Amino acid sequence: MATKILSNILKTRPYNMMLKRWESSEKRVTVHDPFYSMPKKDKKNYLKVIKMFEVRDTRRRGHVEFIYAALARMKEFGVQKDLEVYKALVDVLPKGKFIPSNIFQSEFMHYPKQQQCAVDLLEQMEDNKVMPDTEMEQMLLNVFGTRGIPLRKYWRMMYWMPKFRNLSPWHLPDELPNDTLELARLAIERITSVDPDRKIELWQTEEIEASLDKTWIISAQSESQKILLSEQPADEPLVVRGPFNVYLRDQVVTYFMLLGKTRPELKDDTDDDDVSNIPKPLGIPGLVGKTTLPAVRQTVHEQDDGTIISLCATGTSSRDSLLSWIRLLEKHGNPLLSTLPVIFTLTAPPNDLSIAETQPAIPEEESRAQ
Amino acid sequence: MNVARKLCVIHHSYVSRNLYRKFRFSSTDYESAPSSQPQVRDEKFDFEDLNVLERVERRKEKINPFMKDIFISIFNRDLLAYPEILNKEETEALEQRINTIRNVFIDPKKTAEDRKNVLINTKMFAAPVSLTRNGLAANVTESLRYLEAIASDFQLGQDLSDHWLGLQALSHGLTEEQYSMIIDDLIKGDKTIALVIKERIAERISQADFRTTAEMDGQGIWRINGEKVCRSAGGYILVLCAVEASRLKAFLVHPGVEGVKTDGPFVTFFKTPATPLDLISETTLAQILGVSRLHAASLSRCRLAAAVNSVVEYTRPRAFSGKPLAELSNIQSTMGNALLDIYACESAEYFAAGLLDGYQSPDAELEVAMCRNFISNHGLSSMMQLLSIPALDKEEECKRLLDDMRHLAARGETLDSVNTFIALNGLHHAGVVMANEVKQIRNPLMHPAFIVKKVLANRHQERDEPRLTLHLAEHLHPSLRQPAEQLEYCVLRMRYACETLMARHGVKVDTAYTELNRLAEAATEIFVMTSVLARASRSYCIGLRNAEVEMKLAACFVERTRDRVKKLIKEIDDGEYLNLDHFTVQLGKKVLDTNTLLVEKPTARVFW
Repeated sequence: MATKILSNILKTRPYNMMLKRWESSEKRVTVHDPFYSMPKKDKKNYLKVIKMFEVRDTRRRGHVEFIYAALARMKEFGVQKDLEVYKALVDVLPKGKFIPSNIFQSEFMHYPKQQQCAVDLLEQMEDNKVMPDTEMEQMLLNVFGTRGIPLRKYWRMMYWMPKFRNLSPWHLPDELPNDTLELARLAIERITSVDPDRKIELWQTEEIEASLDKTWIISAQSESQKILLSEQPADEPLVVRGPFNVYLRDQVVTYFMLLGKTRPELKDDTDDDDVSNIPKPLGIPGLVGKTTLPAVRQTVHEQDDGTIISLCATGTSSRDSLLSWIRLLEKHGNPLLSTLPVIFTLTAPPNDLSIAETQPAIPEEESRAQ
Repeated sequence: MNVARKLCVIHHSYVSRNLYRKFRFSSTDYESAPSSQPQVRDEKFDFEDLNVLERVERRKEKINPFMKDIFISIFNRDLLAYPEILNKEETEALEQRINTIRNVFIDPKKTAEDRKNVLINTKMFAAPVSLTRNGLAANVTESLRYLEAIASDFQLGQDLSDHWLGLQALSHGLTEEQYSMIIDDLIKGDKTIALVIKERIAERISQADFRTTAEMDGQGIWRINGEKVCRSAGGYILVLCAVEASRLKAFLVHPGVEGVKTDGPFVTFFKTPATPLDLISETTLAQILGVSRLHAASLSRCRLAAAVNSVVEYTRPRAFSGKPLAELSNIQSTMGNALLDIYACESAEYFAAGLLDGYQSPDAELEVAMCRNFISNHGLSSMMQLLSIPALDKEEECKRLLDDMRHLAARGETLDSVNTFIALNGLHHAGVVMANEVKQIRNPLMHPAFIVKKVLANRHQERDEPRLTLHLAEHLHPSLRQPAEQLEYCVLRMRYACETLMARHGVKVDTAYTELNRLAEAATEIFVMTSVLARASRSYCIGLRNAEVEMKLAACFVERTRDRVKKLIKEIDDGEYLNLDHFTVQLGKKVLDTNTLLVEKPTARVFW
C-alpha cells in the first residue's frame, strides 16, 4: 500500500501544476501556469484547465492553491458571472474526506484551510451576484457535511440573495447589452419611468441636413411635456443641461436634459383646520370637474430648477449631436422650438464621455474604406 | 230588549231634530244674513289671470334638510310617518291614467306607435306642464308612478324622464313669451327634449374638465361649441355650457339647426345657435336636473322587477330531481333578496318624492341622489344573481336585461361622482355645525380641557356602543322596536364618522375619495332603512294588504343593512392602514403606471 502511494506521488510530481519545480538543467525556479498558457481566454478553456487538474492527479494535491489561483483568473476569462464554473471549482474538492465524523471535529473546524477556501469561493460568487443553486448545496454537503462552515455561508446566501436580486424597481436584463444604443435606451427608460406616458424614440441625425455628427439619438418625451413646452413663454430661453451620468450596474451612460421655465407653485393659504366651508359640488348630474384649469405647477415634470421638457442620450454626446436633437424635437411635434432660444450649458468637455465609441449611423466598413 | 229606552231615544231624536229645525228657522233672516245662504253667482272668467284653475299644492312648512341632518346625527322623527302626498281624487285620476297606459304597455301585440299614441292621449308628454297649458301639472310622486308604467319600454322611459325635466327647466328658465311659443310643439310628443350634460374626460393636461362653451356672436345670437355625450339627439337638446369661463348656463337647441353632428354616443356642436335659459339659476337647475337621479333609480328598479318576472317565468315550469325547480331554497333565497332590494328602493324613491312634493322649498337633493346610489350599488349584483338562474337558457333576454341595468347604473354620471356628491354635501353641512369642534380636535395641545371632555364624551362611540337617545321606536309600530333601535344606532354613528373624517383630513377631506365613498354608502343605507321602516309601519298601521310581509321585509332589510353600515363606519374609524386603503391605492397606482399585473407567475423561480 505504502509503495503504491509513494509511486503515485512520484508519478504525478513532474506533472503537478502550479508548483514550483527545479528544472534539472539550469536549477532555476519557474512557474507553470496552465491558465496563462491557454491561447484563448474563454469559458471552454477555463473548464478545460480545471478538468486537466482533476485528471492529472487522482489525489488532487494542491487543490486549495489551485482554487485560489483559478478564482483570481476568473475575470480574465470572463467567467466570473457563470455558476457552472463555480460548480466546477467546487467539484475539485474531494468528496467525503472533509466531513467531520465526531463532535470535536465539527466544533473545531475540520480542515480549516479547505473550508475557508470554499467560503472564499462562495464570497466571490456573492460579490459577482451569482446565485448558487440546490445542486451546489448538494456538492458542498458531499464535501463538508451539514456542519461545515461553507454550508452555513451557502444557506445565508440563499436567504439574502433572492431577496436582493429583484429589489431594484428598475428591472434590468440579466446580461446588459453590449450595444451602447441599447444601453442608452435602457438608461433613458429608467430615468423617464417617472412618467409612464413618455415615448422613447430613436432618431438618426442624418434627418437633419446640417448635422456634422452622423449618429443616433435616443430621446424621451411625453405628451404632457410637449404641452408644457408649447406653453413656454417666448422670451425665456430653454437650457440644455448635461452631461449627467446614470449607472446601469457597472455601465455608465451619459444623458442630457432640455429644461424650460416652471410655472409658479400653488399658493394655498386656506386653513386646513377650518372645516366651516368644505367645497361641495353643484350637483348637476353628469357635471364633474371645473371649466377652467389652474395655471400652477401640477405635473411631475415641473421641478424646482425648471420644467424638464425632454431627455436624450446621443451616440457621440457632442454639441453637434445635441443641436441635431433640438432640431429633431422641433421636427417631431414641437414646432415652438424654432422660435425659442436654446442655451447649451455643457459642464464637461464632450470627448471624455463613455459612450462615444460607436457610431452605427456609418457602418464600419464604409468608414474603413474612407 | 229595552223597548222603553229605544222609544225614548226615538222620541228624543225626533224632538231634538224638530227643535233644531225650529230654532234654525227662527234664527234665519234672509235679509239680514245673506252670507249663510247659497249664493248664485254669475260666472266671471278672468281670462287675464287663469291661476285660479291651476293645481293647488298642499305643502307643509319648510323643514331642515333630512339627510344632511343625519350627518350630524339629528333625526327628524316626524318623517317616520311616511309621506302621503296625493288625495283621493288625485289618486283615482292617477290610477285611471296608469291603467290606460299599462294596458297598452303590457300587451305584446301593441306596436311602438300604439304606445306613443296612448302616451299622447294621456298627456304624458306634458305631464309636468301646468294645467292651463294643457298639461297635467304632475308632481314628482305622480311622475314616478307614470314612469313605472312606462318603464317596460326601456328607451321610452328614459326619453320621457329627460323630457319632463327639460320641460321643467324650460318653464323656469324661459320668459313667458318664449315658453308659450314652443310649449305646444314640445307637448305634441313628436320631439322630446334630451338632456346633454356629460362630456368626455379630458385627453390632455391642457384641457379643462368641462369644455363646451357658449358665446354671443355679433348679431346677439348665442352659439355653442363643444362635444357632449348624448343618448339620443333627435329632437330638442338641452345643453349645459360654460359662459364667461366659470359660469354655467343651460341652452335649448332646436331640432334641425345647423352645426349639430351626431357620432355614436357623442354629439358635436359647432357654432350652433341656441336659446339661453336666462331666468334659471345654477342651483335651481341643479335641483331640477337632480331629479333625473330619482328617475334613473326608478327605471333601474323596474328593470330588476322585470328580471324577477322573467326568472319566475323560467323557473315555474321546470323541475329538478323530480321536484319543481321553484322549490330549491337557493333560488327562493335569490328571489327574496331581489325582493328586498326592490322593496327598499321603492320605499326610498317615494319617500324622496314625498319630501320634494310635501314641503315648502324642499332641500332633498341628497335623498334623491341616495336613491340612485342605492340601486346602482345593489341593482347590478342583484341582477347578476337573478340572471344566473336561467343563465344560458335565456341568453338573449339575460343579455338585454343586464345591459339595460348597466346603462342605467352609469346613466348620466358614474356611481363615484354620485357618492362624492352625497358625502361632500353631507360633510359641508356637518362642517358648518362642527367647525369649532374640529378645529379644537386638530389642535389638541391648544385645548387640553376640551380634549379630555371629548375623550369622555366619545367613550361610548369608541367602544362602538353609542347611547340610544333618539327614541325612534316611539314613532313606529311597536313591533318594529328592534329594527328602529338598529337604525338609531346607525344614525348616531354618523356624527362620529363625520367628526373622525374631518379631524383626520381637515378641509382636504374633499380629496379623500375612498373615505367619502364609505360615508356616502353608509348615509345611503341609513336613508333607505328609514324609508323602509316608515313605509312598513305605515302599511301595517293602516292595514294594507300583505302588510305583515312588509314588516318582515323591513325587519330583514334593517337587520342586514345595519351590519353593513357598522362595517363601513368602523372602516372609516380605522383609517387607511387598517382598512387597507393605503395598500390598495398603492397597488392600483403601480398597475396603472405599468399596465401589468405586477406579480410573476406562480411557476417562476429565483434559483434552481
